[in-house]
Amino acid sequence: MRRDQAKQTIGILRDAVAGIDRRHAGVGGAAWTDGSADGGASFGFPPLDDVFEGGFPAHALHEIRCPLTRDIGAATGFLAAMLVACLKDRQGPVVWIADPAARLESGEIFPAGLSMFGVDPSRLLVIHPAELKSALWASDEAAGCHDLAAVIFHMRGNPGLCDMTATRRLMMKARDSRVFACILRQAGEEEASAVATRWRVQARPSLADAIFEGGIGPLRLDLALERNRHGRTGQWAIAWNHRSRRFEQVPTHYVDRPALPFDRPHGAPQTGQVVALDRAS
Amino acid sequence: MTGRPDVPPLVAISRIRNAQRIVAVEEEGERAGLRRGQSLSDARALAPDLDSFDHDAEADMALLTSVAIWCDRYTPLVAIDQPSDAIAGGCGGLFLDISGCVHLYGGEQAMLGDVTARLRGAGFAAQAAIADTAGAAWAAARYGDRRIVEPGDQPAALGGLPLAALRLDPDCIDMLGKLGLRTIGCIADLPRAPLAARFGAQLLRRLDQALGREEEVIQPRLPAAELASEKIFAEPVALQEDIERTIGLLAANLQPLMDARQVGARRLELRLFRVDGKVAAIEVRSAGPVHTPDRIQMLFRERIAGFHEDLDAGFGFDLIRLNVLESQERSVRQGDLVAGAHAHEAFDSLVDRLGARLGVDRVLRLAAADAHIPERSFGLVSAAGDHPDSSGFAAAAEAPCVITRPLLLFDRPELVEAIAEAPDGPPVRFRWRRAVYRIVRSEGPERIGAQWWLEGRGGRSRDYYRVEDDEGHRFWIFRHGLFGRETAHPKWYMHGLFA
Repeated sequence: MRRDQAKQTIGILRDAVAGIDRRHAGVGGAAWTDGSADGGASFGFPPLDDVFEGGFPAHALHEIRCPLTRDIGAATGFLAAMLVACLKDRQGPVVWIADPAARLESGEIFPAGLSMFGVDPSRLLVIHPAELKSALWASDEAAGCHDLAAVIFHMRGNPGLCDMTATRRLMMKARDSRVFACILRQAGEEEASAVATRWRVQARPSLADAIFEGGIGPLRLDLALERNRHGRTGQWAIAWNHRSRRFEQVPTHYVDRPALPFDRPHGAPQTGQVVALDRAS
Repeated sequence: MTGRPDVPPLVAISRIRNAQRIVAVEEEGERAGLRRGQSLSDARALAPDLDSFDHDAEADMALLTSVAIWCDRYTPLVAIDQPSDAIAGGCGGLFLDISGCVHLYGGEQAMLGDVTARLRGAGFAAQAAIADTAGAAWAAARYGDRRIVEPGDQPAALGGLPLAALRLDPDCIDMLGKLGLRTIGCIADLPRAPLAARFGAQLLRRLDQALGREEEVIQPRLPAAELASEKIFAEPVALQEDIERTIGLLAANLQPLMDARQVGARRLELRLFRVDGKVAAIEVRSAGPVHTPDRIQMLFRERIAGFHEDLDAGFGFDLIRLNVLESQERSVRQGDLVAGAHAHEAFDSLVDRLGARLGVDRVLRLAAADAHIPERSFGLVSAAGDHPDSSGFAAAAEAPCVITRPLLLFDRPELVEAIAEAPDGPPVRFRWRRAVYRIVRSEGPERIGAQWWLEGRGGRSRDYYRVEDDEGHRFWIFRHGLFGRETAHPKWYMHGLFA
């Protein structure tokens, strides 16, 4: 027990020293040396990857939050995208810990949807703890297991139990056991924690589908990097291309109707004729 | 019940054959002439100040069961002899199969003394006897003067006992009594055929069972554990550290046995026998076969830590037993020889720890199910169970053209108030969880039929729509029932959230 505490203290001090070093070396640049140790994972989307100089640190604790519960779908989508980036060259199971309060509001993870996103559902170990305390304990245990590829802790709001100390412990365990750890926080406020990055995700109205006009286009998100321990923060409007499984830029000025495709024949013309109607009165 | 000399006798009564009759009577009452089966009015004539209460058969049975659980300390094979009105003297009891357990207590006499002394200490007026058949032991315990019947000695030991010692129907005993046959010795050597013809086969069967001529199998309350190891303490232990150390010791005792059989434990049970007779049982499961003491110790440590209240040790435990309830084959020491076997050890150990602390039904993996209804198309099964090689999900080799399934699914679809075009248009707006969503885009419907072979004619089809509201939230909602054909007023349900 005492050894654990000592280990933690050393970890905290090490973090502090690293922080001082970084400040002296200036933000960014050469200070970001242990990128390989953190297992950089790339989104494959230059604007996002540039913030991390190549890839975000996969072996660390991250947080994805959405201010409103109705955005949890979008937040889960961004998490799935991060998982796709992390699991690309990593074996091992993914532990998904769902706090009962969060599960009640947002439902269960759906394997069919997950595999369409590109995450193999058979890799998932789903934990349903009875209360937040055991959920936190379970994520702590899981983050310390080096056989895993990722640990997801899905929670609701800003419970006091998951404070600076708890997140710091998770962060250190994830770094030591080289696991991608992520807090998925629904209906949560911004709060001080030890996470490496914190993202705020909101849904964004989509464009019409290129093929089916009345249909729904690819997933689009308003993404904000609120906190980044190792670099810049930023805001992006991005779209998820589920065919290439990568993010794409959303044009800032877009027309609602896409231009007709140049590599395909024109679609059938609409039947009938558009006429101007007379005023009713 | 004894030791109440100054108060009126107490009897338990019940309604039997249209009269309030005595079911149980205390020792003082027997001295006053009260007996079982007597009607309450007769008893009141003998003892006018009689106190009576209604007999509670369930409570009796519960008490007998708790004594049976306590008796597990002597042998794993304990059977309950149910109280029965159809048998003379059938007031219930316990059978303990002590074959092979006697030497642990230093002989039959010592064991018998231990059982009766402990039960009397707990306030029971217990009578016990040892014999090599259940029937003989039953007779000797209730009517005999010899507490231990030697093998082959039944005719001599039981000859003088009344016929009631044979577990017979009271009417049969009455009939035999009228013929002057009152003891077992009287009928033991009578010609068998006339006896059977007149009194039925049951009489001869009971006689043969008592005299050891016919085998009788008792039905133990619990199946015997595959392997067990136990430790008896002269001084009761109560501290959690001591219990944990004991688990380690017991597991170390079991390890060579498991190694010899090339098995590992999948399900283990710890039984803690408290000094005051209460028995606590803790069960753990593991993801794979475990055999090392530290893994077993870890499982129990997490399980005990996961209890919401502490293990109530009372005055301490004087016997701790570790049972292997279920085992699985494993190749001996594979972990030491093959480096690859180490690969998932940390993960298995994690699953074990989580399962032990949170409960195995809370550590789950996804498994595909053979159904097309979305919420039934997968299941969450305990990760501690047997691992099939594949979970049944088709490998997503190619990225799909359109994402048609949501990331999050409500296991119970939630009712929404939707405005939609009749008969089969997509919803225009809907109210869900007290908020109104205005739908801008929609795709569908995707019709998913009911499982008519399960639900019958009443099953309704679902028309699923992917919809997006003006803020970009995407939902998977469905209309339950086809308009006009299956229902006049189809309801709408929210079933999932898209990314």
